[in-house]
Amino acid sequence: MKKRICSLTVFLGVVSVLVSVCVTARAADPIVIGVPTSTGFVEGKEGLAVVEMAVEEINAKGGVTVGSEKRPFKVESIDIRDAAPGVPVPEALLGLEKIILDKKPAGLLVGPFRSEALLAGMDILAKYKVPMLGTIAMTPASEAKIKKDPEKYKYVFRTCLNSKYLVKYLVGIMAFVNKEFGFNKVYIMNQDVAWARATADLIKKNYFEKAGWQVVGHEAYPTGTLDFSSAMMKVRAGGAQVILPIFDMPQSGILVKQWNAMKVPALLAGFISPLAGPGAWKTFDQKIGGAVNCNFELGSAMGSPKVPQSMDFLAAYEKKYGKPMEAGHGPAPTYESVYILAEAIERAGSLDPDAIAAEIAKTDRTGVMGRIRFDEGHQAIFDMDPKESAVACVFQWTDDGNRVNVFPEAIADGNIQLPAGLKPAK
Amino acid sequence: MFLGTCVYALINSVILLLMAIGFNLTFGISGVSNFAYGAFYILSAFVTWMLINWIGIPYFLSAVLSIVFTAFVGAVMYRFILIRVRGQVLSEVIATFGIGLIILEFFRYLGFVGIEYSLPVFIDQSFVIAGTYVDMQRILIVLFSIVLILLLWLFIHHTSIGLAFRGIAQDERTALTFGIDSDWIAMLSVSIGGGLAAIAATVVVPLGTISVSEGYDVLINALAVCIIGGLGSTGGVIVASLVVGFAQRFTDTYIGSHWTMIVSLVAIFLVLVIKPSGLYGKQKELEERI
Repeated sequence: MKKRICSLTVFLGVVSVLVSVCVTARAADPIVIGVPTSTGFVEGKEGLAVVEMAVEEINAKGGVTVGSEKRPFKVESIDIRDAAPGVPVPEALLGLEKIILDKKPAGLLVGPFRSEALLAGMDILAKYKVPMLGTIAMTPASEAKIKKDPEKYKYVFRTCLNSKYLVKYLVGIMAFVNKEFGFNKVYIMNQDVAWARATADLIKKNYFEKAGWQVVGHEAYPTGTLDFSSAMMKVRAGGAQVILPIFDMPQSGILVKQWNAMKVPALLAGFISPLAGPGAWKTFDQKIGGAVNCNFELGSAMGSPKVPQSMDFLAAYEKKYGKPMEAGHGPAPTYESVYILAEAIERAGSLDPDAIAAEIAKTDRTGVMGRIRFDEGHQAIFDMDPKESAVACVFQWTDDGNRVNVFPEAIADGNIQLPAGLKPAK
Repeated sequence: MFLGTCVYALINSVILLLMAIGFNLTFGISGVSNFAYGAFYILSAFVTWMLINWIGIPYFLSAVLSIVFTAFVGAVMYRFILIRVRGQVLSEVIATFGIGLIILEFFRYLGFVGIEYSLPVFIDQSFVIAGTYVDMQRILIVLFSIVLILLLWLFIHHTSIGLAFRGIAQDERTALTFGIDSDWIAMLSVSIGGGLAAIAATVVVPLGTISVSEGYDVLINALAVCIIGGLGSTGGVIVASLVVGFAQRFTDTYIGSHWTMIVSLVAIFLVLVIKPSGLYGKQKELEERI
């Protein structure tokens, strides 16, 4: 009898311990967010950094409410290296599949750099039913794919702008310099990658040709180009008044240095990723006064006092990491994507991917980039007023090292000024 | 525009020559494969940057220390890794390529990514040459390279170590009978080759920013120029640099920029088909195969 009571007591004790361990473990189960991207490039590196920053903020407030319990986020990342030249798309997608199978994330953020990788990766996301909020690759083809089969690709979203929206902002700059200074001769230089080619072709077809501009030249440069002297000579020879660069490769810094050293009498106005952040002033020997750069999203390395969340975001980043943000594409939408995912999970009340995807599609959130809503192609809507849509941010470097927002008007603090030595055409 | 293109083509050729000369010394002259060459180029640039920005050492002293350090790393690589596979060319290639990958990807893993990683130009000025502006850094690259090539030529042809380099490339066994320590000489050639990569980085990197992926491009350019010019021939490397450099710039100006990348690949293909040992190469085994 005594032996039986003793055995029963031990048994009940063991069962109690096991149950309490299971309950405790279940309560602490983090929700995994995957970040499969090219972390060896500045946009990917800072994208991952802002995910960690946002996760820290959310976890500090107790985490994400799923049903009746609060669960913390946990970040898992993988470098898929798709942005490195020569890396085949299938190899990059292995990384995407690996993080899904190994870490079982509730959602993925940032995603591939290259549009080819995104388009191919959409089938993997559909296969494993994992929602992804992409913030780098910009091809409108992903939206077309979603609209063609919305049920299959309902998990794929893009929070950053696409190349069509980028064209809108670049057209805005060109229209301004045409109206204000009478400029109508442009030399287009773009990186030889899908998003840059598409952007250049769209702006040429939809604006320059229709508005009567003369396109003095249009060149596509392979990633890794180290010399842009031929283009600079053609700009001078052709009398181009504006150079429209569209580059995100690190070597595009050479273009800026050559533009300066060869004293090319043309306004540099477009997107060159090395010009996006405050560090450019020192890197380019304080000689970038006058250059106009379009950062793809407000808050990505440039904020506006008219959207206080953008300034707070940049300040928080600098405080946490000890240096300012430099990537002009990716960080702001990535930061917002963490909150979008968190809010979608809370509204869904579960980690069911179909429910999360449905809730992400209903997002209506005001944050760092302005107001974020998604259209039918799961693309965040960008326009000119941060109260109504997300916005990009066009700024101009001044001769004393400051950056002044010049477009869109809702966030502009000044107008485009001609650099010294460049005269208006009217 | 024609004269301006010629000026920049010459500069482009000199940059290619600088990138290739160290590789040619090690692989072509001494017969030791060093496919970590591009990694040494980037390693030197980052070390210079770290010395300037983290320790506050003046620029020129940082550059010198970086060159010495890179040469040392080359010597260490030979002494502890290459010596074990000496003579087996494929193993040398795989081992050094692997080391190069480790170096480059380690920098990427540590987060050495972004425009903050750049080196200042020596003199910030531009001059008009043949009707086009050329920055002082590019002019200095040309002047510097002329001096370097002359010194290298003197070293290879008129010093005992330089002759020893050529000796072990021609016939290692015979060189041994002359008392030339082949391992010591091979280690020196890898070390000096690494130092030359570092010298190239010191003068070329200030043209842009330091980028890890450029390490791979440097290796491809160096390999292309050496194959076209002929491994082991300094004159061949000079001619090949001019051919590729001019072809790239004129292709960019008169045909299209997106074709420039295939210029060196087409040149390699043509050389391998017509004269496999290169324009000035003397490898009879390759000639006899066609």
